[in-house]
Amino acid sequence: MSSTQSGGGAAPPAVELRGITKRFPGVVANHDINITVRPGSVHAIVGENGAGKSTLMKTLYGMHQPDEGTVSVDGQVVRLHSPSDAIAHGIGMVHQHFMLADNLTVLENVVLGAERLHGIGARARARVRELSAQYGLRVDPDRLMEELGVGDRQRVEILKVLYRGARIVILDEPTAVLVPQEVDELFDNLRELKREGLTVIFISHKLDEVLSVADTITVIRRGTTVATVDPSGTTARDLASLMVGGELPVPGLRESTVTDEVVLDLRDLRVEAADGRPVLQDVSLRIRRGEIVGIAGVEGNGQSELIETIMGMRPAVSGRVELGGTDITGWTTRAIREAGIGYVPEDRHRHGVLLESPLWENRVLGHQTQPPNSKGLLIDRAGARADTERIVAEYDVRTPGIDVLAGALSGGNQQKLIVGREMSHDPKVLVAAHPTRGVDVGAQAAIWGHLRAARAKGLAVLLISADLDELIGMSDTLHVILRGRLVAEADPATVTPEQLGSAMTGAGLSSDDEEPGPREDEAEA
Amino acid sequence: MSQTLEVATPQVAPPRARNRWRILSIVFAAFVALSAVRMFTGQPVLTGSGTIQATLAFAVPIGLAGLGGLWAERAGVVNIGLEGMMVFGTWFGAFAAYTTGNPWAGLVAGVLGGVFGGLIHAVATVTFGVDHIVSGVAINILAVGAMRYLSILYFQDAPGGGASQSPPLPGFPRVGLPFVDSLLGPVEERQWFLVSDLAGLVIGLTTDMSVVTLLAILLVPASYWLLWRTPFGLRLRSCGENPDAAESLGVRVNGYKYVAVLVSGGLAGLGGVFLAMVASSIYQEGQTGGRGYIGLAAMIFGNWRPGGLAMGAGLFGYTDALQVRGSGGAVHALLVLIALALVAVAVWQWLRGRRIVAGVSLGFAVVLGAWYLLTDTLPRELVTYSPHIATLLVMALATQRLRPPAAAGRPWRRGGGS
Repeated sequence: MSSTQSGGGAAPPAVELRGITKRFPGVVANHDINITVRPGSVHAIVGENGAGKSTLMKTLYGMHQPDEGTVSVDGQVVRLHSPSDAIAHGIGMVHQHFMLADNLTVLENVVLGAERLHGIGARARARVRELSAQYGLRVDPDRLMEELGVGDRQRVEILKVLYRGARIVILDEPTAVLVPQEVDELFDNLRELKREGLTVIFISHKLDEVLSVADTITVIRRGTTVATVDPSGTTARDLASLMVGGELPVPGLRESTVTDEVVLDLRDLRVEAADGRPVLQDVSLRIRRGEIVGIAGVEGNGQSELIETIMGMRPAVSGRVELGGTDITGWTTRAIREAGIGYVPEDRHRHGVLLESPLWENRVLGHQTQPPNSKGLLIDRAGARADTERIVAEYDVRTPGIDVLAGALSGGNQQKLIVGREMSHDPKVLVAAHPTRGVDVGAQAAIWGHLRAARAKGLAVLLISADLDELIGMSDTLHVILRGRLVAEADPATVTPEQLGSAMTGAGLSSDDEEPGPREDEAEA
Repeated sequence: MSQTLEVATPQVAPPRARNRWRILSIVFAAFVALSAVRMFTGQPVLTGSGTIQATLAFAVPIGLAGLGGLWAERAGVVNIGLEGMMVFGTWFGAFAAYTTGNPWAGLVAGVLGGVFGGLIHAVATVTFGVDHIVSGVAINILAVGAMRYLSILYFQDAPGGGASQSPPLPGFPRVGLPFVDSLLGPVEERQWFLVSDLAGLVIGLTTDMSVVTLLAILLVPASYWLLWRTPFGLRLRSCGENPDAAESLGVRVNGYKYVAVLVSGGLAGLGGVFLAMVASSIYQEGQTGGRGYIGLAAMIFGNWRPGGLAMGAGLFGYTDALQVRGSGGAVHALLVLIALALVAVAVWQWLRGRRIVAGVSLGFAVVLGAWYLLTDTLPRELVTYSPHIATLLVMALATQRLRPPAAAGRPWRRGGGS
């Protein structure tokens, strides 16, 4: 362990990829990739969605073989035919989608498949505890998996890899599912791994995160390595231009298009959970034509319930929802959508798309009663297909065709399809929850652009996001939601992400002229 | 770094150990209540040693079917074809026992017959991805028709046989502790509160038991040990919880599914052997009488765990035994027990603040109590169907907080995940 500690010039690289090329029928996913990873370092690989990062990692993890090029581990050229080969060479992978069984304990999940190492009983438990303590993972082996949150699950995944003796840990988009505090904890864990002499390969497209944790950054664009840089001498903007070959988009609105005409009016909404606990109380909110209203809050403070109530997916106990003066409280979701509310759901796999259906069918969903999707009682196949082609072109959905299953697209492209679909029926109001979550920078800029254009034409938008820069940049008005109440209103022109962050945790918008504490009077306005 | 220290996860003690004691105390309380009801109603048959033995005889095939369901579903395959696999077990067991004259040959053949049914199910569901229910129902239909065909071929001309039944079959040896009956028999007859009931229980569990019954009882802890205490079991269960995760860790998912479904069929086949050669002494068409399905119900009642399903099988076996041995009077006495249980539920729900549920339970308790006091016996039809009614009631009341294997019943293909 000590020999690989600081990774000086003498030690061979932990991983060296030379001239890796991988072709799939019709595409070259990777082309002449060259990466050298120093032992005991955190090496980030960044690139847009679809740039070929995941293909490269599958090569390194033995899930498929490269067509050309060599993989070396600790200076030795190896051929990895399967993940077991990779594990035997000390390479472990934490998948983007967790591979865990909910109804098994942490211990059972960790030892599964590696029972030969320490059995499945007391010795294995002791080893898990030991590793957990050594790397600061704080994992209790006897908890049931389903009781754990996302951050804990990820630590179990890391533990699984360590338990198998990995010295090189690959993390595929590990922060995509985490909230900001969990990201910080993960980074502490990664630094701990590094301190113990392990090598971490970290795949991401979130540049700020990469800059804060990585020792070396390799940028991949269109399947090939374009640069390897040192984070101390570079900025997010430089990285972004390397990634996309252009400028990093900044969320922002030009001039105010807010009018006096209230389109969506929420009055004193109260929503309760199944056990009678209030999850939304006294929520009153007005959105005018041409206005984007942002809602900031730590996840789980009532944002989901607010959206679902507006969309008619969850009944309000009291209060009203009015759309352009019409009371739509208690309407069915379809009626609400037809009345002119578009919806970009927060979890696109649960609510937004059918992964097993082709794109054009997904384009019909939710608008199945309206042209161009239907003629009378029947679905208008030709019309829907033609309009899907239009969305694919206008919103730059990268797909081989509209008969491809939605599940075959990357998350960003699915999101672009959803945004395109929701915009296609000229909604009066758009409820957009995390519209750019899991989307690469190029697509992010495009979605912001579409929102801006629609706003200029008079669209009213309710924007919910965990990305504070996006909220501040894209909102005309900002509200903070805390424990089901709108506790503060902020001016996006002057507020900083730090102030917003402290308001989200209940400390109030702590600037000099305002007194701390939740400002509930805002909600009654 | 300071942040990580603050955000420590709350440590909650695993509730399993507590659960175990709770279940034991509930079982004990139920036994005490049963004893009290026996004193109150004067129905010694409620806890008599004969009833216990009959309970075992009725519970074993249900329990074996339930264990079969447990093995298959823990590996992610729903096995509604247990009924058909039991039918295979009854026929092949009878055929081999009759032709060789050796009951053990019958046992082996019956188990293999069940394994054969399991193999059909495994090939259909695991290899070809057929819907599990469709395949299972097909096996149930196939089994009945095929066995009648074979009966006509082989049993029709045999002495005492026919198109729907076999000639008389040899029986299995019976075992027991020799001194228990003579020692505790008098105690049971005294009708003391609790003591006589315990004596009845002990006699029933230690005297004159078929070796197949003993084998079946031992299979329950054996299944638990295999499935929960060995790497083999962990891998098998992981296939039923998250096959993609299991595959990513090098578990040969389809292999484990095959093993599980074959074992499942073998257990159901053993249940069939029991029906044909222990509970009866000939093979008869329709002998299984839906026990494969009741076995699945017992497994669900037991929350997909061996101990729970044994309790469920015992419950169904007990109601069966009562209606056969005690006829109307004993089942009539059960009304008091159910009323008592409902009162307990009412108190518990009231304490949890669910007043309406408590009220309804109490109302039913009063109705049942009145029913008991105003009548002397139950209508014949109700008595015959009491096992089925018990199944329905138990399923309706007990299936509130169950945790089936997450991937049970879902077709799975290699390389589906990431």
